[in-house]
Amino acid sequence: MKKTWFKWAALGAPALVIAGCATYPDPATTRRVAEKMVNESFTAPAPALLKRLAQDKSQQICSKIGGAQLTQEEAAEVTRLARASIKYPPSGKLVGDWKRGDKLAHDGAGDRIQRGRLEKRKENGGLCQNCHALAPGEINVGNVGPSLTGYGLQRGTSDAIAKLTYERIYNAWAYSPCSNMPRLGATGHLTPEQIIHMVAYLIDPQSPINSR
Amino acid sequence: MRNLRGGLAASAFLFLAVSVPAQTTDPLAVGRQMLAEDNPGELWIEKGKTLFYEKRGPRGVSLEQCDFGRGPGKLEGASTQLPRYFPDTDKVQDLESRLVSCMVQLQGFKREDVIRRAISPGGSSGSDMEALALYITSRSNGMKINVSLNHQKEREMYKAGEYLFFRRSGQTDFACVQCHGDANKRIRLQDLIHMTTKQGVQEVVSTWPAYRGAHYVVRTMQWRLYDCFWQMRLPELAYASDVSIALTTYLQYQGNGAVTRVPGFKR
Ligand code: HEC
Ligand code: HEC
Repeated sequence: MKKTWFKWAALGAPALVIAGCATYPDPATTRRVAEKMVNESFTAPAPALLKRLAQDKSQQICSKIGGAQLTQEEAAEVTRLARASIKYPPSGKLVGDWKRGDKLAHDGAGDRIQRGRLEKRKENGGLCQNCHALAPGEINVGNVGPSLTGYGLQRGTSDAIAKLTYERIYNAWAYSPCSNMPRLGATGHLTPEQIIHMVAYLIDPQSPINSR
Repeated sequence: MRNLRGGLAASAFLFLAVSVPAQTTDPLAVGRQMLAEDNPGELWIEKGKTLFYEKRGPRGVSLEQCDFGRGPGKLEGASTQLPRYFPDTDKVQDLESRLVSCMVQLQGFKREDVIRRAISPGGSSGSDMEALALYITSRSNGMKINVSLNHQKEREMYKAGEYLFFRRSGQTDFACVQCHGDANKRIRLQDLIHMTTKQGVQEVVSTWPAYRGAHYVVRTMQWRLYDCFWQMRLPELAYASDVSIALTTYLQYQGNGAVTRVPGFKR
């Protein structure tokens, strides 16, 4: 029974095509089909790691096909969720040690999964160098994000700037909804303590990023 | 390490230049041949050809009965039309998942074994799959990619691939488009191909499988996608999974019209 059906399908498929019956699935069907694929196409050393594949509300909104524009409501929703996500370090201090921040900003490792193993690190790298120009003269830097060279020289070291910088690193989408910058604190890639070191790296006048 | 490899390859050259046939799987001999060619990936073509026509597997048959869409054993132009729907498996398959089907169904290999070995360790002599995928694709060299979306399942696969290209997830909030959606972008010093333009995506689909200089082996599209998901900090993309086939279908179709020229040569 099944076999005959297959044969029929094999012969029938081209005929259907000629009759113009193949259509593109609508967006809801595409979503269902693709999400099922996501559930079936990955493996992980621990089942909990598969949760990384699930999308939160903001990621769903920020996954527009073809990079279509956000509506005003969507942008407002992403901004609201981002603001609500931001947590500050218990000490309340937003500027840490620029030397530790320097190291973290140049570290692109941590938390990757390969050949059945989760990369073990004391802490995750900040990934900043992948996307941003950092201290003057550094060559091995990416350009997915804007240059951060001289960041503190232009902005100073006020509490307001420290807070803004902390929040942009913790959750970039609070200021720029759905931008290409990861929400490094909100997604748990970085801790608040790591972020304050990178704030120091960006704004401290002693930091190489602000050398002239 | 590099020097050691070079030294081994050079001495292999002295000793083996005459006695070792081109299709050998001996890594030293491969190293020897690497010295002789512009794109070392060329060497995998011969290896793949030998593997294709050799009687192999528990059933002891060659892959000549494998149908890549143009009839059993017909390889000219076959890769230009992949991925496509195959009635016998009732699935849309790319070249590599089709090869898995044939190695399992015709030759009697175990699926888990084929998949476990499909991506070789860097610096090795490469996997059978890598050589076969390159050989078969090379039989379309000079021909235009021409993927058609006639079957309903092909259309679903294509649309799923498009959806996945823009689907953000994980702790880095990445989808493919975050790194491949703009011109002239780099992650550190690595150029990111702009795949939402025709020219960029054509550059991609015409050059895989490719020789990967950093690994000393030929790599396939399945490997490339696996590696991007790794950078994205997502779980491991299963070899020949539907996500891999959907993304490949999306990219190949977008790249229609590009002229196949493999092996590509990558960083
Ligand atoms: C995958 C790319 C990517 C990574 C990784 C990344 N950024 Fe960004 N960053 C961007 C993009 C794109 C923008 C511009 C859009 C925005 O502001 O969100 C940006 C903007 C910024 C800004 C605002 C710049 C301004 O002129 O106001 C700061 C500050 C910043 N990033 C710091 C960092 C730090 C620190 C890290 C690492 C801890 C980091 N970024 C990691 C892509 C990235
Ligand atoms: C974090 C950045 C990043 C993300 C996200 C990413 N890639 Fe990549 N991709 C890269 C880098 C880096 C390379 C290699 C460049 C090199 O080797 O010089 C690359 C290379 C590729 C290539 C090969 C290009 C060529 O040379 O022909 C393909 C195809 C590709 N990516 C597809 C994808 C797809 C599909 C996705 C989403 C599932 C994706 N990438 C997500 C960074 C990324």
